[in-house]
Amino acid sequence: MNTWKEWIFTTDHKRVGVLYLIGSLAAFGVAGIMALLMRWELTSIGPTLTENPSTYNVWLYAHGAVMILGFQIPALTGFFANYCIPLMIGAKDVAFPRLNAFSVWLFYVGIVLAVLTFFIPDPPDIMWTAYPPYSTITSGNTAFYTFTVLILGFASILGGVNFLTTVAYMRAPGMSWNKLNIFVWCTVAAFVLQLIFVPVLGTAVTLISFDKYLGTSFFDPARGGDVLIYQNLFWFYSHPAVYVIFLPFIGVVYEIVATFARNRVFNYKMVVYGGIFGIVGLSGVVWVHHLYVTGMADWIRIGQMVTTLLISVPVGFTVIGLVGTLYKGAISFETPMLYALGVIFLFLIGGLTGIPLAITSLTLHLSDTYYVVGHFHYVMAVAGTFAIFGGVYYWFPKITGRMYSETMGKLGFWITFAGTNVVFWIMMDIGVKGMPRRYFDYAHFPQFENAHQWMTGGAALIGVGFALAVINWIVGAARGAKAADNPWGSQSLEWTTQTPPPPGNWKDVPTIREEWDPYAYAQR
Amino acid sequence: MRKHLLAACAAAAATASRAAEAIRDPAAGWDRLWHEVIIDISILGVAFALITAWFVLRYRRRNPNEVGRAEKLTAAAAVGWTVIPMFVFMADDFFLAANGWQLWNAYRQPPAERIEIKLESGMYSWDYTYPNGVKAQNVLKVPAGKPVLLRMTSRDTIHSHFIPDFRVKEDSMPGRVTFMWFYPQKPGEHIVTCAEYCGIMHSYMVGKVVVVPEAEFAAWYAQEEKKLADGGRQTKKAGA
Amino acid sequence: MSHEPSAHAAHAPEWEVSVWPFVISFGILFALPVAFAFKFVYGLSFAAILALGIGTPMIVAGIAGWVKEGLGSHHGAGLAFPAMGWFILAEAMIFLSMFAAYWFNRLTAEAWPPAGSVELPRIMPLVMTVVLVASSLTIHHAEALLHAGKRAGFVNWLVLTMLLGAVFLGMSAYEWNHLIHQDFTTDTNVFGTVFYSITGLHGSHVIVGLGIFIALLLPALRGKVNTPFVKTASLYWHFVDIIWFFVVSQVYYW
Ligand code: HEA
Ligand code: HEA
Ligand code: CUA
Ligand SMILES: [Cu+2]
Repeated sequence: MNTWKEWIFTTDHKRVGVLYLIGSLAAFGVAGIMALLMRWELTSIGPTLTENPSTYNVWLYAHGAVMILGFQIPALTGFFANYCIPLMIGAKDVAFPRLNAFSVWLFYVGIVLAVLTFFIPDPPDIMWTAYPPYSTITSGNTAFYTFTVLILGFASILGGVNFLTTVAYMRAPGMSWNKLNIFVWCTVAAFVLQLIFVPVLGTAVTLISFDKYLGTSFFDPARGGDVLIYQNLFWFYSHPAVYVIFLPFIGVVYEIVATFARNRVFNYKMVVYGGIFGIVGLSGVVWVHHLYVTGMADWIRIGQMVTTLLISVPVGFTVIGLVGTLYKGAISFETPMLYALGVIFLFLIGGLTGIPLAITSLTLHLSDTYYVVGHFHYVMAVAGTFAIFGGVYYWFPKITGRMYSETMGKLGFWITFAGTNVVFWIMMDIGVKGMPRRYFDYAHFPQFENAHQWMTGGAALIGVGFALAVINWIVGAARGAKAADNPWGSQSLEWTTQTPPPPGNWKDVPTIREEWDPYAYAQR
Repeated sequence: MRKHLLAACAAAAATASRAAEAIRDPAAGWDRLWHEVIIDISILGVAFALITAWFVLRYRRRNPNEVGRAEKLTAAAAVGWTVIPMFVFMADDFFLAANGWQLWNAYRQPPAERIEIKLESGMYSWDYTYPNGVKAQNVLKVPAGKPVLLRMTSRDTIHSHFIPDFRVKEDSMPGRVTFMWFYPQKPGEHIVTCAEYCGIMHSYMVGKVVVVPEAEFAAWYAQEEKKLADGGRQTKKAGA
Repeated sequence: MSHEPSAHAAHAPEWEVSVWPFVISFGILFALPVAFAFKFVYGLSFAAILALGIGTPMIVAGIAGWVKEGLGSHHGAGLAFPAMGWFILAEAMIFLSMFAAYWFNRLTAEAWPPAGSVELPRIMPLVMTVVLVASSLTIHHAEALLHAGKRAGFVNWLVLTMLLGAVFLGMSAYEWNHLIHQDFTTDTNVFGTVFYSITGLHGSHVIVGLGIFIALLLPALRGKVNTPFVKTASLYWHFVDIIWFFVVSQVYYW
């Protein structure tokens, strides 16, 4: 077999992981370019880059759907989970390697479908939320959205089945549950969420295509249907989905922070059993906070305001654990650590700005404005992407066996850090002042033109910073200096095998000693 | 039921001006609560950020072989570090929830002496119908000093009637009736804009609320009503 | 990095490969989204048939190749059973969301059944229930025979199970046909929508179950049986059976 076949047809978890990474970064590039086009369009009142509002709506649709479904979820539960989990638990591979390869190729099929958006005559323009009745009467191709979701969702479910089985049954001898890396816990939790909730999303989007193409009437009030069923099903998945993103990314940040502070994770059990379990427990009962302005019954809006606010408790635990891990640490500041520290600050902003949104009565003004857009970009697009980028930098030596350029890495970080704060802070500001989202043109809000121009400038800055990181990786993988097995001096299991890890990961499957712990630095 | 009785009694007892005072204007309440919440979350955010920054500065690695020195928490400390933050956070959550709920009541319990207008939204216009049958498109004229309640539905996709100045929006959709109310106190103009993605021209779905002095409104209203009646007669004639 | 040659390193580990996941994935691309879009979005039936013609053989070949490889290696075989447990959780959620959509519509409706509905048959669903329950018992018995080492008996009872499944599908098809002739279809009203979607969703699971059984039967006829795989398939079949109780009670008799 020649090398490229060994890559394409691979069933090895590390290579499958790398395939995930390549696919999801490509998706990020495409969706990022959509963002830049949108920003360009918004630099002036009236048509700027395109005459046709529909074109803008297609960009926005592709941006949202691809960023979430094609970039973050696959990067976190595809790439990181695949690459790290077997190594962290001391397994030779996942439980079902062929199923794993199936997941990654289904993911690529999903990406192909999403990219076809730009080549078909009737691209979907239904936003990533695809609310009926618009999504059932538009001339856009709703079916492609449905199938993108179904295929990516199916890939995700298979991944979940695979990894839950792997973690449950394939841990190295002596690897007890309380010795698992935080990242492993986070990912397990994320997969549990995926298994429970993705099917609901799958059903929701299938029903829109049924309604649109097969003549059913789930969402058609004229024939006894109800438009709000869709929104309930959609958010019943899509709220937990934000924790499917949040949990693994905060897990990555934990690994980075513990390694670069060379410190024990603060209050491990609180983080796992309070934080992670708490988030899983609450995530299924807060979806109505996306339907505060849809006229749902008052009791359920008030009830879910309380549950939504209470989510700050388990999420707060994960933040305390993270900050506490710095206490009495021995911190150094290589690029991954900069990204990780960036995440702490940016996530604080993003998470705390979710609090006003959680309060029903405040949301009556804030919902569907740029304030919401600012909130979720801070928490997801910025904190999440920073965690992903930091994680790639962190495991880069292990994956490629080479080092990246530290200077370029730091430069990229600071540029994006500056850019994101310009863009997304301004968004929250104009949102509070009344700027609605999903606007191709804001002719009746001329007072925001200046702000929009600043944001476009900031977006260009973000693009430059991210592009620097990607270039850094490509150059580093090709001709960086050779990396040591454990360049950061980490205790975690994945750094004890050779770099890059061979097929089968270990010469002899490691046995875990009683006193070992992935974060046991002080005992050394 | 009991609530209605109470409201009726209260209305009967109060003079007109006193009743107006009793109306809790959600927009003002919104601004108050917003500032309260912003202060609350800023304190939390700044506290966490400062602690983080302090740790980062204080515990820098000084030589390459240094490792962290944090001890394992004792069982009591671990529980304490879980339970205390939990109660602090929960206390704050319930405080915010209670305040939010109070304001919510103001939003969801419209005052009895109000003017009630029907709204049907469509791609892409706001179509209002006054109690006397007068219709208006995109421009909603209302008297100053009287609460306005909209009963809303939609003939096609979902829209959201958003009046930033009054800090309120609510979706209108086919097959369901929703409501919102607001309290215009001074003459002036306020933008109405669509806040739910409803189709290609979503961003152009704009209208305005024009608040005029009560007397001016009454004159306009009577005149429109008369026009409507005349118009009706005329079409009848034309039909015959 | 230590490179001392060790005793076991006589054959250096190799990257494992399999082409079948790749083949099935792209088969799915043609057979599902592309074919659906050609037929229902663009109205190009011929192109849709073409896409199906490309996709379906890829899927079938992929499954066949995969099953063959799977029978050869025992990698992860013992874990298939718990993994199926997780998968069933996901499946159950699909049914739950369909039922939720149904409840949401039904409980907020002014009158039920909505205008245009017809009287559903009362006896047929009972017979179908009996058949499906019987098939659950027969697969259970087949498994027991396999455990006792009776290969031939296992094959017979497996075939019987498949027959029962096929009879069930046949009755379902008969009933659909009957109702459609009474002008009760998916677009009649929301009850028609729900009726066909839920029974159809369940029926498609029966079909998948039968497909899995075929993937068991063909190698078994040549003497190859993978016991954990049988256990897993039977678990799935029991699940499909249990879901039927909900379909019957919620859709037919409520
Ligand atoms: C990774 C993604 C992610 C995460 C983690 C979150 C986290 C949260 N989100 Fe966000 N959200 C989104 C992604 C995310 N969100 C997206 C994508 C949308 C829009 C979708 C769309 O419409 O297109 C959205 C929209 C959205 C809405 C709907 C707005 C609207 O459309 O009207 C609401 C409303 O309640 C909300 C609230 C919250 C809350 C309360 C949290 C909480 O989990 C945050 C908890 C964190 C903290 C509170 C900070 C840390 C904690 C402490 C420091 C402890 C102390 C704090 C207190 C006691 C308060 N979000
Ligand atoms: C993870 C999710 C994510 C991420 C990372 C981003 C990133 C960005 N987003 Fe996105 N956004 C969403 C998720 C995300 N967004 C969602 C869900 C919506 C709502 C959609 C809806 O309403 O339905 C939204 C909506 C949204 C809007 C609202 C538009 C509107 O309502 O009208 C805007 C406006 O400015 C915006 C801007 C940006 C910008 C400038 C970035 C920048 O940070 C992007 C910067 C990145 C790049 C410029 C690419 C960098 C280049 C490379 C990395 C090199 C290329 C590499 C290869 C080819 C391999 N986004
Ligand atoms: Cu109407 Cu948006
Ligand atoms: Cu949410």
